[in-house]
Amino acid sequence: MNRLAIVAGLFVLAAASARADTVLVLNSEDASYSIISRSSRTELVRLPVGREPHHLFRSPDGKDVLIGSTATNELLVLDNKTGEKKGLVRDIVDPYQLGFSPDGKWFVTVALRLDHVDFYRADGFKLVNRIFIDSMPSHLAFDADSKTVFVSLQESGRLAAFDLETQTVKWNVKVGTAPAGVLVLPDNNRVLVALTGQDGLVVVNPKDGSITGSLKTGRAAHNFWPKGDGRHWFLSNRVENTVSLIDTQEMKVVGTIKVPGGPDCMDITPDGKELWVTQRFLRRIAVVDLEQMKMVASIPVGKSPHGVVMLDAVGPPGGTPIRTVSATPKKK
Amino acid sequence: MRDLIDLWVGCQNWIFETLVSPVLFQFGLMEWYEPAFNAVEIFMLGVVQILVIVLGMRFFEKRWPLERTADDNLVGVDRVYTILNKLGIVPLALFTVSYPITNQIEYLSRAFGFTPFRVEQVLPWLHDNALASFIVYFVLYDFVAYWLHRAQHRFSWWWALHSLHHSQRQMTVWSDDRNHIVDDLLMTLALAVFAQLVGVQPDDYVMILMVGRLVESWSHANVDVSFGRIGEKLLVGPRFHRLHHAMASADERHIHDHNFAPVFPVWDILFGTAIYDGKHRPTGVDDPVVDADNGRGWITQQVTVFGRFVRALVPRPMRAPVQPGLRPPAE
Repeated sequence: MNRLAIVAGLFVLAAASARADTVLVLNSEDASYSIISRSSRTELVRLPVGREPHHLFRSPDGKDVLIGSTATNELLVLDNKTGEKKGLVRDIVDPYQLGFSPDGKWFVTVALRLDHVDFYRADGFKLVNRIFIDSMPSHLAFDADSKTVFVSLQESGRLAAFDLETQTVKWNVKVGTAPAGVLVLPDNNRVLVALTGQDGLVVVNPKDGSITGSLKTGRAAHNFWPKGDGRHWFLSNRVENTVSLIDTQEMKVVGTIKVPGGPDCMDITPDGKELWVTQRFLRRIAVVDLEQMKMVASIPVGKSPHGVVMLDAVGPPGGTPIRTVSATPKKK
Repeated sequence: MRDLIDLWVGCQNWIFETLVSPVLFQFGLMEWYEPAFNAVEIFMLGVVQILVIVLGMRFFEKRWPLERTADDNLVGVDRVYTILNKLGIVPLALFTVSYPITNQIEYLSRAFGFTPFRVEQVLPWLHDNALASFIVYFVLYDFVAYWLHRAQHRFSWWWALHSLHHSQRQMTVWSDDRNHIVDDLLMTLALAVFAQLVGVQPDDYVMILMVGRLVESWSHANVDVSFGRIGEKLLVGPRFHRLHHAMASADERHIHDHNFAPVFPVWDILFGTAIYDGKHRPTGVDDPVVDADNGRGWITQQVTVFGRFVRALVPRPMRAPVQPGLRPPAE
């Protein structure tokens, strides 16, 4: 009996000290998401989700991950620690991009196909306002004081600023061809907009939308992800097949990483050593070693992998898989 | 399997990055970036289909032909239809027209709070089995295609278009794609809206089209081959479908109003339109105006058949007493 207790105790200790080891990737054209082991770099399981899942977002308290399924108008809520399904929020129309304001009060979605921006109270997802806008709202970012949300309008080549409290358009200006990723820098004085129809980004003044600068990064600049030091950001260039590392203080490119297959969304491992990048066209996710600034692995996933997030979970979650890819991850 | 996927996706990516994406980027069409990548896959699937026809089905036609007096002049135009369709030229034109329409339908349905449905909501176990899910969607799709095919025969304006498909006297593996572009557009719209309603995945939709059209190419083949007593009840084959193309006669005025099913004969069996009698009949349409399609090339066929269609849209009381080619011949 004592032995059993000791073994059980050791098991609990081992589990508690286990490192978060999983990555979640949305397979946007398979209506599924893959759970991948970071250590073994293998897909552990593939689970079903509503149609056309493109992006996901961590809840302000960090406990949940929300997946937006655009064609079935729903959010799947997953437990960030276990990866288990916690619930389904229905009637969130075409949630292509989604995000919570930094103060946690607002939840905003943009409907790429249906041309509207929706404002919800984050507590309970109650729709407060829907603003139709021309056209193809694609990415969004909040300012630091949660007063404004900036939305890129891919087809019309514009960036719009919405006042969160009144849900009205503050300004709506032309910024270039096919704007996509939007980033509000920590100084709250510059907004960077990636131009997928051009070869870099523009710097926009958040007060009036005036363009104050630009930077060449590569053809079809698309999406940003922070390096974590408050100064450097990664930017994927989809046609160029590269990821640029940008120093936002000096406003210059300080590194370029080759990632084939139309690199799109990214996330960085908690230790800051690896950047994971979805390769939309190759049905894979790339692992970039940030010390070498080089792609070191490319892991097969489902069709058109788009959003990606590091989970705090250790192993694959429960649930009925579409297929179990590898029940026992291979050793490196 | 993964090696095969990598090879396929690698080819698709190479074609896209070499030929398509630079053009999109140059002309400021990057909002079509992902759809264009998928269009490359449709083109590649078309090449595969043509290879299956040329290397596979044509072998059976040469080895076991049903009619030995093949007139290559009649068949040539059907090859043009097949190339234009399978390589995505006609589908691209159809997509350009139908996309804004289906999108608008989606806007409206969403505005009224309609959420697209998925069969998996009713049959959750389908999540676990990709093959079973594909088959269920395929069967549903074929069911709708069966009724649309009946409508093509039922309405005189639609028959004016669809009769082009039936006018071929020399049926071969190339005959399936011989359709008027407006007929193709109507079918595409109807089937795309249906696919939206029941939640067919884009990937499944492409596979359904590919497998379905291959079965249909085979069902038009000039071969004396049978799937057997049971097989003929499960899958449409050349014998079953040839009866649907049979020329009406004094004894059999409605013979072509049978065996409508595109892929699964079960619909004809269930709705009383199946005939399995094993007789060989001449094919074509017993209307000289429609039969004249046989001497024409692709452009002339498209123009003359469109004229037929426009005349058929004129309300009956305003039409001339005799309008050849406008009514289903067996009516």
